Amino acid sequence: MSDVWIAGAGMTRFGKREETLQDLMAEAALAALRAASVEAPEAIVVAAMNPEEFVGEGNFATHFATHLGFAYVPALRVETATSSGAAALFTGFAAIAAGLRRSVLVVGGEKMTHLSTPRVSELISRSIDPHERSYGATMPALAGLVTRTLMAGHGVSLREISQVSVKNHAHGALNPFAHFQSRVTLEEVLESRVVADPLRLFHCCPISDGAAAVVLTAEGTGIRIAGIGQGADYLAVRYRDNLTSFRATQAAAEAAYRMAGFGPERVDVAEVHDAFAPFELIALEDLGLVPSGKAAPVTMSGETALDGRLPVNPSGGLKARGHALAATGLAQVAELVWQLTGSATGRQVEARVGLAHSIGGLATNNWVTLLERAA
Amino acid sequence: MDRIQGSRCPRCLRVLAPPARFCPDHPVAMEPVELHGYGDVISFTTLHSPPEGFRSPLHIALVELPAGARIFCHGSETKLLRVGRRVAVEAVDQVFYFSHLGLADRARLFWRRAGDRGERVTAMAKSVVKRLFRGPKDETTEAP
Ligand SMILES: [Zn+2]
Repeated sequence: MSDVWIAGAGMTRFGKREETLQDLMAEAALAALRAASVEAPEAIVVAAMNPEEFVGEGNFATHFATHLGFAYVPALRVETATSSGAAALFTGFAAIAAGLRRSVLVVGGEKMTHLSTPRVSELISRSIDPHERSYGATMPALAGLVTRTLMAGHGVSLREISQVSVKNHAHGALNPFAHFQSRVTLEEVLESRVVADPLRLFHCCPISDGAAAVVLTAEGTGIRIAGIGQGADYLAVRYRDNLTSFRATQAAAEAAYRMAGFGPERVDVAEVHDAFAPFELIALEDLGLVPSGKAAPVTMSGETALDGRLPVNPSGGLKARGHALAATGLAQVAELVWQLTGSATGRQVEARVGLAHSIGGLATNNWVTLLERAA
Repeated sequence: MDRIQGSRCPRCLRVLAPPARFCPDHPVAMEPVELHGYGDVISFTTLHSPPEGFRSPLHIALVELPAGARIFCHGSETKLLRVGRRVAVEAVDQVFYFSHLGLADRARLFWRRAGDRGERVTAMAKSVVKRLFRGPKDETTEAP
């Protein structure tokens, strides 16, 4: 298996954007190609969760390739719900690792804010088991069920959960690409309206437009993909016997660490999928970054803040950077590339190894990617 | 006591409700099985902006039946609900409802689910002919 390198990364600012999906993807792709000094990639992998419904366009890989002037470059689309960006990275990685390609442009994006919030929620909830959906289960509803078991069974408090939002907003305030670039207080989080009891509005990520891209190459640059792993779980949440850890995260992490040949002790910085604030606490333990039962106390003590021992979500996470679905997994990787190369101006941490964690659906199809800066 | 229709895997004996065609752990056809209509609350939530077709607030509980199957249920309120509490479960028109309250409350909860008038009247009538199941411990007397 050949080494796979990230030669360049780019993204748009997340948020409410007026551009088309293909223009957002083009902006991110051109930034990544420029950073990589690659004029034209050998292949393109596109991630978009649901362009058919969100923007009314199908055959989206060819649509994007033609739009950007790469009509003759082979392109394909990858989808694993909200982790599609990470899945696209894996597809590009596999092509280079197998020696089939020398360079691949991986780009993900989503455009949703032109639709009403109930319509967007309905489209996202189609990634939930149909029977559970027939009971009115939405992503926040399932996350509400998870949150209550975390609080009842593990003694995690709403205050501790809310601190994740406070921290990630503080990070987002320093990131020019973030959807929300403002701080929030613990009181504001705790007093925001109830969405899915006990979850409140400021525990939930926003609906964002945006795109992110990386260029992968077989030639060595500064940043290597050391490991990449996928983990699976039941579509139906009711089939699982444990709601306070995600098997799909644990399996993805195990596979990524095995490929990398090192464990969580070498991770210096992490971007994790905090679509709902309690998910960051669950992720820290599932990824082995903190011991079982310690995620809440390390968050309260500031260990996961920018100046802490293990900065988590320096970009602001899904909560503040935003969640443009298929763009998110690649935006996490872009942030890590900038952190590892010392170009995360204003929010720079000291790191050699970074971990990205992406959740598809309600933790049905998760990915963990490990990046390492060459010594 | 109400019975719940479920399915069992002939290989691993895993039980699911509602019935599924294949076991999620084996590509094996499941067999029909009848389950007791009560269980323990695993978790619950209330939606204040539920999806189209549901009334607000929408109460959803995840309940584990004695056979191990976990089911989604609707209910009329969650004030008395706690994780681990035993509740009665019944199926009306293939929709599961939890309850630990009196018959009047139980009838009321069917109104939580949007549907045409005829459907609701049928559901109410079906409910009235069923006897209220009380768990081993009578929890209806417990203070909130
Ligand atoms: Zn089985």
